[in-house]
Amino acid sequence: MITAGIDVGSLTTEAVLLQDREILAYSIVKTGSRARLAAEQAFEEVLEKAKIKFSDVSFVVATGYGRMGVPFASRQVTEITCHGRGAAFLSPRVRTVIDIGGQDSKVIRLDEQGNVVDFLMNDKCAAGTGRFLEVMAQALELPVTALGEAEREARRAAEISSMCTVFAESEVVSLIAQGVPRAEIIRGLHRAVAARTTALVSRLGLVPEVMMTGGVAKNPGVVSALSEKLGVEIFVPPEPQIVGALGAALLAR
Amino acid sequence: MAVMEFRKFLRDLFEGEHRKRILSSPLTYQLVERALKLARGSFPSQASYMMARFALAQTGRAFSRRVPVVWTSAFFPVEIVWGLNLCPFSPEVAAAFLASLGFAEEALDRAEQAGYSRDLCSFHRLIAGAALLGYLPPPAALVASTHLCDGAPLLFQNLAAFFRVPFHVLDVPYRADRDAEAYVAEQLAELWRALADLAERKPEPAGLAEAIQNSNRFRANLLEVNELRCRVPAPVRGSEMLNYLYLFFAGQGSREAAEVFACLAREIGRGEREGKKEERFRILWLHLKPFYKGELMDFIENKSGAVLAFEEMSHVYWPPLSPGDPFPSLARKVLSHFCYKPLEARTATVKMLAEKYRVDGIVHFSHWGCRQSVGGSLMLKDALQRAGWPVLLLDGDCLDARNEATGGILTRVQAFLEILAERKNFRVGERHDHCRN
Repeated sequence: MITAGIDVGSLTTEAVLLQDREILAYSIVKTGSRARLAAEQAFEEVLEKAKIKFSDVSFVVATGYGRMGVPFASRQVTEITCHGRGAAFLSPRVRTVIDIGGQDSKVIRLDEQGNVVDFLMNDKCAAGTGRFLEVMAQALELPVTALGEAEREARRAAEISSMCTVFAESEVVSLIAQGVPRAEIIRGLHRAVAARTTALVSRLGLVPEVMMTGGVAKNPGVVSALSEKLGVEIFVPPEPQIVGALGAALLAR
Repeated sequence: MAVMEFRKFLRDLFEGEHRKRILSSPLTYQLVERALKLARGSFPSQASYMMARFALAQTGRAFSRRVPVVWTSAFFPVEIVWGLNLCPFSPEVAAAFLASLGFAEEALDRAEQAGYSRDLCSFHRLIAGAALLGYLPPPAALVASTHLCDGAPLLFQNLAAFFRVPFHVLDVPYRADRDAEAYVAEQLAELWRALADLAERKPEPAGLAEAIQNSNRFRANLLEVNELRCRVPAPVRGSEMLNYLYLFFAGQGSREAAEVFACLAREIGRGEREGKKEERFRILWLHLKPFYKGELMDFIENKSGAVLAFEEMSHVYWPPLSPGDPFPSLARKVLSHFCYKPLEARTATVKMLAEKYRVDGIVHFSHWGCRQSVGGSLMLKDALQRAGWPVLLLDGDCLDARNEATGGILTRVQAFLEILAERKNFRVGERHDHCRN
């Protein structure tokens, strides 16, 4: 049986095809302004990659903030349950999942069976999310995907005192004007994200092992700052962005 | 006229540049009461219809200027106001009413312009703004209790200065021993005499005894309703019970408030209240709910398959009052609130309610700015989780819709229900239109 999971996030949409608990293919596309089109595009792309037809897929589960706008989904499941399920599938020993996405961050607690037993979600403001890093990357005239690499040259971290995206951007502009090296600013930003995420993790309670999912997990600077701050090793799967869609595909039955 | 249409009727009535004049005219409430009769059949029950009529009549009375109006804070023992046949007015309930009609923003903005910080509880900000806009009946006095809400005494003091009327505070110690009881009882007796002086009336013990008896009937009838609510499926929805806020905050001591719950008990007892056919999840709801028109309560009770089986507010925590010994017994009532004790008392009460009403999970609606309720919520959650109940702390705002991100709050609730579904071995996730009934 082939199942599919579609995760419609604020910045990207992912689709995963699963057959007998093996990933057949996955796709990642920009969400843009129309979630439904993004879902269709991601699904078409993943079908093409796997060289199968829509009718070969038995069930589709949609997740993510745009989950209600996927007309071809059999069911909708929240991204919290899906990330939990996906993380437990990839590593059954995981008890804490940290998902930093485009517009929110979540901490999810799993039990020994891989079921979600508790969670916290921060979506009140952009602080500590992928959007925060995107805005800062723009101010630094870098693509957001280059931040992790660009931090490597840093000898120290610049102090970023504000957690608010708007104020932090002003701080970054001031630091650039003061001649602070870009790498140090980036390290400061990564530490700011880590501090914000640590507060959320601490509220729920840290239980190892820890997995990080979502687009921000692709940034090694954030992962290492968070690992240092939490004092634990953080496992990042090979493609952290598809964990939600993977969980959705696992739940599709 | 359906209930929603009745709300629209009220909204249309109060809409526009003459809002102040219309809101503050007693004739308005006579008109609305007549309109209410047309909508009678569409109320969820005779009890809710009676409650609406009672609240409207009292609001009209408050604007009539024929009787001194006493503003009372939530949890103040309003029996002493009824015992003098004065007109109690609960600005917290008025704030919820204005928010339900969609007029919160104007009053909140007005309060913020006057310097009330947005960090404050929106009940208090909305009251301040509505008072400044002239939407509330002018008080002859304001009385506030210090227990359970430390914002209200400060706000009331401020508003007493604005209205140039007396302000009385009931200072409630944070312990429930005999000294505390005597101290509160003495203040209540003084307050009763002071309010009688204000109205130029002789304080009549018989009047107070009648109010105490009414309050006991309210208690007994509510207890009966609560026992009947143990039935599965739940015969009354929690969101409806939370609409009886007026009775809890301003009605205790009145004949009418007692009658509303007597009527509700009869309706349930006669089987006139049918629960949901499919009750997938039974929820215990802590604290209040959003009163503005939003998606949260509609989603939970109409679309998700969940039911609010019981809510903390309806729990009868106080012993019967003594008509012959009113002030000490009212003092005992005030001092016995389980939320005005170390957190263990609230935890024990919530556990008891969770067991009694056989709930699957507990939701704490964490109202923005409510230090008393939210302050201990993490520890409460921890203790309840250790006892085996899934708990969701749902950050939101009872009145200020601007503090709510609808998508986020619904995702939290859905994710919580998915946790409950997994515990009950239900299939996780549904089509969003699946559970309508």
